[in-house]
Order: sequence, then C-alpha cells, then structure tokens
Amino acid sequence: MIKDKYNFEVFSKKPIKLMSDSGEWLADFELDLSDKQLKEFYYDMLFGRLLDERFGQLHRLGKVSFYAPSSGHEAAQIAIAKAIDWGNDWVFPYYRDNALLYSSGVPIKDIMAQMLGTRLDPAKARQMPSHPSSKKLNMFTAASGIASHIPAAAGAAIAAKIRNKGEAVITTSGEGATSEGDYHAGINFAGAQGAPIVFIVQNNGLAISVPYHKQSAAENTSLKAHAYGMPGYYLDGMDILACYYLMKDLLERARAGLGPALVEMKVYRYGPHSPADDDMRYRSKEEVDAWRKKDPLLRMQKFLAKRKLWTKKQDIKMREEIELILDKAINEAEAEGFAPLEWMFDDVFKDKPAHLLEQQKMLLED
Amino acid sequence: MNITEYYGQTITYREALRLALDEAMEQDERIIILGEEVGRYGGAYAVSQGLYEKYGAGRVLDTPISEAAIIGTAIGAAMTGLRPVAELMYVDFAGIAMDQIANQAAKIRYMFGGQIGVPMVLRTQGGPGRSAGAQHSQSLEAWFMHTAGLFVAMPATVSDAYQLLKEALQFDDPVIFIEHKGLYTSKGIFEPGTALPFGKAAIAREGSELTIITYSGALRHCLAAAEELDKLAIDVEVIDLRTLNPLDVDTFVESVSKTGHALIVTEDSLTAGVSAEISARAQEGAFDFLEEPIMRLSGEDIPIPVAPELELAATPKKADIIKAVRKILRR
Repeated sequence: MIKDKYNFEVFSKKPIKLMSDSGEWLADFELDLSDKQLKEFYYDMLFGRLLDERFGQLHRLGKVSFYAPSSGHEAAQIAIAKAIDWGNDWVFPYYRDNALLYSSGVPIKDIMAQMLGTRLDPAKARQMPSHPSSKKLNMFTAASGIASHIPAAAGAAIAAKIRNKGEAVITTSGEGATSEGDYHAGINFAGAQGAPIVFIVQNNGLAISVPYHKQSAAENTSLKAHAYGMPGYYLDGMDILACYYLMKDLLERARAGLGPALVEMKVYRYGPHSPADDDMRYRSKEEVDAWRKKDPLLRMQKFLAKRKLWTKKQDIKMREEIELILDKAINEAEAEGFAPLEWMFDDVFKDKPAHLLEQQKMLLED
Repeated sequence: MNITEYYGQTITYREALRLALDEAMEQDERIIILGEEVGRYGGAYAVSQGLYEKYGAGRVLDTPISEAAIIGTAIGAAMTGLRPVAELMYVDFAGIAMDQIANQAAKIRYMFGGQIGVPMVLRTQGGPGRSAGAQHSQSLEAWFMHTAGLFVAMPATVSDAYQLLKEALQFDDPVIFIEHKGLYTSKGIFEPGTALPFGKAAIAREGSELTIITYSGALRHCLAAAEELDKLAIDVEVIDLRTLNPLDVDTFVESVSKTGHALIVTEDSLTAGVSAEISARAQEGAFDFLEEPIMRLSGEDIPIPVAPELELAATPKKADIIKAVRKILRR
C-alpha cells in the first residue's frame, strides 16, 4: 500500500482523529488552514445543521413529503465538500448529504425548490426531496435504491481515467449500502481498473433501524477495501479536520492516477432514518444524548475557541443570520409556484416520440 | 474503413453489427465498448472480434462478470461524456442488472430535469433456438418496452442490424438493442441505404388479404409462411416492426385497415406480452376496417425447455403461422 503524505494509518483498529474531544490538535504535522478557512468550516457545519432542522420543520408543516435527517454527519460532509474540486471532479452523493449539498455551492433557493418541488427547481420537481443534483457542479442526482449509484460512480471514474485529465470521482453512502450487490459490483470494477475514485461510507451504525452488527461481521466497512485491492481508512467522522486532510490527500492521489480508496467516517445520526421512522423503537434517548456530547459542532467550537475564533455571542448571531437566509430562500422557492402540467412529458427522452406527444395532447386537452 | 466497399455484398448479421461498431468507433472517439470478454476474446457471439486489436484496451474494456457493473459503469461513463456500448451476453441476465437499467438508465434524464442524459447502447441477444434452456433463451423485450425512458430496437435483417445500431449510437438516450441468437449467421445483401430510419416499421412483404405483424427472429418464419401461402393463392402482407419503442403504430394500422385481417407473431410469452400491446393498438386504430378478430401467435407461457422438439414447439413456427392465417381467412 502507498503511504500518503500525512501518514494516515491504513486499516487502523481505532478511528483516526486529529482533534481531541476537547478541541486539541493531535497531529504531528502543522495545521495549514487559515483562520478564515477554519471559521468557514464551522459556519458550513452550522448551516448544514440548521438546514437539516429546517427540513424537519417543513416536513411537520406538510410542505415536503420526505427528507433524510443528517444532523450528526456535518463534520464528515463538510470535510468532503471542502476537499472536492467542484466542477472538475464528479460527485455521486446519497440522500443524506444535506450539509455536503449546502457546502457544494448549490444556491440555497435551488435546494429549497428541490425540497418543495416548485417551478424554481433546476431538476423540474421530478426527484424526491433530499435527492439533489447540479449539472454545473458535476453533482449527480442521488438514487433512492440503496447503492444503485455506486456502479455509475465507478463508471464515471473509468471515463475519467480514459480522459486522463486529472479528474476524480467522489461517492458517498451510508454503511447500509455496503451490503448491496451493486456496491460490490461497482467498487470491485473500480479496483480492477485502478480508477480515480474515493468511496466514502458515512457509518452511522444504523441501516434504517438495523444495527451494524446485524449488517456485517466486519469490524468496520473500511476493512472491505482490502479485498478490492485499495487502501481503507477508518476515521472519526465527528472530526472535520481528520476527514478533510485525508480526503484532500486521497483526492489528490486519485487525480494523479494513483488509484482508488475506501474511507469509513464513523458518525451518528441524531434523527430518525426518515420522518416515517420512529427511532425510539430501536434505540434509547440515552444513547442519542451520549452521542450528542460528542457533537462535531461542539468539538469544532472548542477547537476554535482555543484559537479565539469562536464565542457564544458570535454563534447566536450566526444562527440568526442563517435562519434569515433560509426564510428568504423558502419564500423565493415558494413564490414561483409548483411545476406546471406542461412539463410532465418533457425529458423522458431528449426529443418527444410520437406516442408521448399524443399522450401529452390528450392530457392537456382534457 | 470505407463502408461503401461492402455495399451490395452478401454478409452475415454478425458482420453487419461489427461494421456498425467499427465505423462508429472510427467516427466518434467517445464510443467505448465494455462487457464480459468483449475484448481479447471478441465477444461470446464474436460480434466485437478485431475491435480490441484495432482500438486497444482503453476503448474495448474486458469487464468482471458482473452485469450490474457492466451496465452501471456504462451509465456513469455515459453521464460524464462518453458513449458506451455495453454488451450483456444474454438478455436473460438483465435480471441481475434490472435496477441499473430500469431505475437508473431509464430515469436519469427525467429525474435530472433534462440537464443530462444517458447516451448508451445496451447490446444483448435473446430468443430460443440453441437448446440453451430457461435462463438463456428468453424473449424479454416487453420488460424494456414497458419501462418509460428506454428505446428498444430488435433488428431482423442484415441491413437493419447495421442501420439501427449506427443510429442508436448517435442517440442521446439509452437504447436497448436486442439481437437474435438465431440470426448471427444469417446472410443478406448489405444495402443500408435502403433501410428505414429508427422508429419506422418496414413492409417486409406486400400483400392484400391479411397483415402479419412481427419482428426479430420471428420475421423469417413469417416470410417463409407467406411464401407457402402464396402457393395457396393467399396474399399476406408482413410488417417488420424493427423497433418496439418507438412503436410505429401508423404503419401497421394502415396495413390492417387495408387488409381487414391481422395476425401478430412474436416469440415472447403470450400473456401481457408485446403482442397484447400491438393487438390493442391495431384494434383502436383499425376497428372500422376489421373483418375478423385480431389473432395472436406468441410463445407459450412456459420457461423455454432444452429438449429440441419441445423448444421448437414453444414458439411459433412456419406451420403454426400458416394454420393461423388460414383459420382467420377461413380458407
């Protein structure tokens, strides 16, 4: 296995961290992020948290039909977003990437329009909420079928290898996806091709309600990389700096033609799988509260406070500002109204065949 | 290569397919081929033979035996700028990759609001005829025809094999291209200039008394039956659908309106099969002209058996077609 520049341990027994729970820098290399960057990392995590909470509110108001709670996954997702070369790399996210989505640079009103299914949605209100996409950012729409996007991500990486222009592919999933045949099919072929791709597993320990020990006998999902002939890394997914430095390194290596990798980021999901799920039937409140004490935002607050980059007062102000941005985006998205009937037959194919023109004509004439 | 050198020559269905791939790969660098043993081995049915040597391992990719990987990676490559041709050795194995085909390839353009498409061709082959049994002999075109977002082509002739594949390779949407395992060695005069465009049905034989509507491997049985019927002074018209999506309803409705009688011949299973759809469309379009009920001859609703005599009996053949035509016309 190739040693990466920060000497992250391959197939470590314990999750790798660079930041202690109390916010101390643990690594033996120098932190080379500016104060501005560090503050931005935190801001994006906070935005991701409040965005997720707002999705919950919209669901309770009956305005969105579905969303996949992401609170607890922010450090992992913002780290991934910050390591991606947006527009050059290709991104195949999953439905729980709310914070990653915000940090990617997709306009917040587009995110809200997608959630609400309004006319403003660039995907024309065709996809389920929490299945975002952006052509401009090379971000592909998430699949509802678990791991269905993994072979496509591998294919994008093989195409990137053929083009040989320094593009990398990033794909995310939960740990549940690693049980699917399509996960194996995609990662195995990517390994055989040495394709430029990083597979990221955000392991929150639950496939809907089924705990990890019932999903797999492997100690963690990073170990599976061994069988695919690529390095596997086991990270503390609540540590944004560990996730960021490793991702940056792995993506640089992939772009340079040094092959794929598999990363598990150990996280925790505070919310249910989806609003249709009663999570108190399969875990205790105590368990959730214990994980909340390890919250990725809290850890980053402590880290920043030690550098005089965070105060409680500033935090309250930031939250207020973010809530206003969310209010404005929702208003903008809603003002456009729902997607019209005239769009219904578009984009089944690039050009409408005769039978669709006929069906459209009959529907609109009624 | 200069394709015109082959014009007027007698070549096989397999060679016609290879010519289409070769010419398209020369013309468009974005086209790659991927599948199980499509490279060095040249494909299970030898369609891609010689292309690995000509275009190299970077454009003709031998894949692991994984239908989900072959089709799924083709989808990803198509979404990001290439034009892959994925080969599925037997259409029966589509089951292993059906999520990729029906939930990914077919739906990406729509779910993405038309911002990107999946310009790929899935080449596969189906049909009975080689004592290959229940998992290597099926005619599953109805699965694809039923799924919104997929074009479906099923060429029956040498010129169509070339013409439809060449066109499919220029489409911006996924095309399920189903060859027939019984046709690879069939020969014909290569005259692509006379072939109709993708989506148009061909009148394979003109006639006045009854319309047979068919496609793919069943066409040869229908044409052979028509020859025999001619000796009995029964004049039938034979329509070759060529593509199932788009389905050229106008051509067969016009023909049935002219003859007043229709027989649909397919090798897929009868119940909820392609013949049911065609029958419904012909009835809606030509109701006022029908002199007898529309009749269907399709595969029996059974898995295809291996024993040769049973396999032969499982799908319509010349004698069955002659009998059905005479029954409809009462002659």
